[in-house]
Amino acid sequence: MKKKLRSEREKYLLSLKKQSTKVHAIRLAILIGFFGLWQILAYTETIDDFITSSPVRIVKMLRELLSSGIFVHIATTLYECILGFIIATVVGSLIAVWLWWSETARRVLEPYLVVLNSLPKIALGPVIIIWVGAGAKAIIMMTVLICIIVTVISVLSGFMECDKDKILLLRSMGASKLQILTKLILPGSLPNFMSVIKINVGLAWVGAIMGEYLVSSAGLGYLIIYGGQVFKLDLVMASTLILCLLAALMYIVVAVIEKRICRFR
Amino acid sequence: MEILQLKNVSLTYQTRTEETVAVDDVSFGVKEGEFVVIVGPSGCGKTSVLSLAGGLIKPTSGQITLDGKPVETNSKIGYMLQHDTLFEWRTIEKNVMLGLEVQKNRDTYAKNYAHDLLKKYGLYDFRKHYPSQLSGGMRQRAALIRTLALRPRLLLLDEAFSALDFQTRMEVCDDVHSIIKSEGKTALLVTHDISEAISLADRIVVLSKRPAKVKSLYTVNLDGKTPFERRENKEFSVWFDRIWRDIS
Repeated sequence: MKKKLRSEREKYLLSLKKQSTKVHAIRLAILIGFFGLWQILAYTETIDDFITSSPVRIVKMLRELLSSGIFVHIATTLYECILGFIIATVVGSLIAVWLWWSETARRVLEPYLVVLNSLPKIALGPVIIIWVGAGAKAIIMMTVLICIIVTVISVLSGFMECDKDKILLLRSMGASKLQILTKLILPGSLPNFMSVIKINVGLAWVGAIMGEYLVSSAGLGYLIIYGGQVFKLDLVMASTLILCLLAALMYIVVAVIEKRICRFR
Repeated sequence: MEILQLKNVSLTYQTRTEETVAVDDVSFGVKEGEFVVIVGPSGCGKTSVLSLAGGLIKPTSGQITLDGKPVETNSKIGYMLQHDTLFEWRTIEKNVMLGLEVQKNRDTYAKNYAHDLLKKYGLYDFRKHYPSQLSGGMRQRAALIRTLALRPRLLLLDEAFSALDFQTRMEVCDDVHSIIKSEGKTALLVTHDISEAISLADRIVVLSKRPAKVKSLYTVNLDGKTPFERRENKEFSVWFDRIWRDIS
């Protein structure tokens, strides 16, 4: 019968737990509410599910897709997205290192970077197709173009923000420029680099899907465009849903890696 | 015997818009084992004098010698700055070894010395910790050990205590002073804090407003082993008055 008195600490921990349960519950409620409402509106024919599709139709479509080779499409898009992401991140970072190293190069190239950054890369679509051909290459190229300028600019600004006192300290120890780069600039920019990677993960999806809109014969972007053209909204919605899941998955992978690498914080 | 010698040193900065004389005909020396403090009004070019002494910038005219040879950046000089500038991604041990790493010194003797310093000054148990896990005072001590690990002939301290809160500052000040004295090191400190200068210095160099000139040189002979004891000495305020008048 007697209820044990809780200590302040226990009360506090309990309130923390309650808060986080609440957040999770509301999150789940929004998700269920959204799909539930969608289904109800479709079921009562308040909305036309030929145009809007509905959760039940999407599930049916997903089942159909699973038995009819959706994995080819997923693999195609994943391949384009990840390869483009890796090329853009590696090459972009190398360019950033070069620009950090040479002040002249940095000053010369600055206006070009600014212009290229604000240029909508999709405008280069026709040029890319003509140059590298219609196919996966063009899509990867598009992904690289979308990611690389942002990578150069963000990584470089991370390098330039490095604590001047630390550079002074290394110089006073007699460090060479290469040592300043490897001992200070690179490891010091790791947190910044991880956030660049997070941005790139998002952009790489934009690039891959946009590339597939332009030119493709397989992939999730292809399915979406195709579905739109033949008015199969179920296919459009189902593909979009898969895309959401994949993007979230990739983000989680990056976040886990970040946590491992940036232990010192 | 003077380790560091500045002779008629001047420094002029060039920028796009103007030419600024930062240091004007400065001469003084630092003897072996001495703790010399440079004070002056803020923005007078104190840090420039220190950078010159460390060979980080070249003077426009005049000579700077370390052990009789023109100064250059190398292992003979150890720097300590206002912020501890520990590398957050390195453990305390790795931070302390930074200088040895930069100079590619794989000598076990040098390594052992660094470990001894960590043990002696109570950081050995924290050697696997990251800087963010240490208090401000401990971080500054770690920074000093990193500097000492290179066995510098001369220590240059640039406002090394200014970023700390008052309580920690007193502790670190005592701490650093006793470590430097017990390791028998020669030190040159720059500060805007007059009482800090008096509590630490064997000798004080007072600089004038920009461009920095040597206004006066004092040999401080206050009793008291630690900076804290010195602050309690009756003559402390006399010294404070004298230098304060000099500066303003």
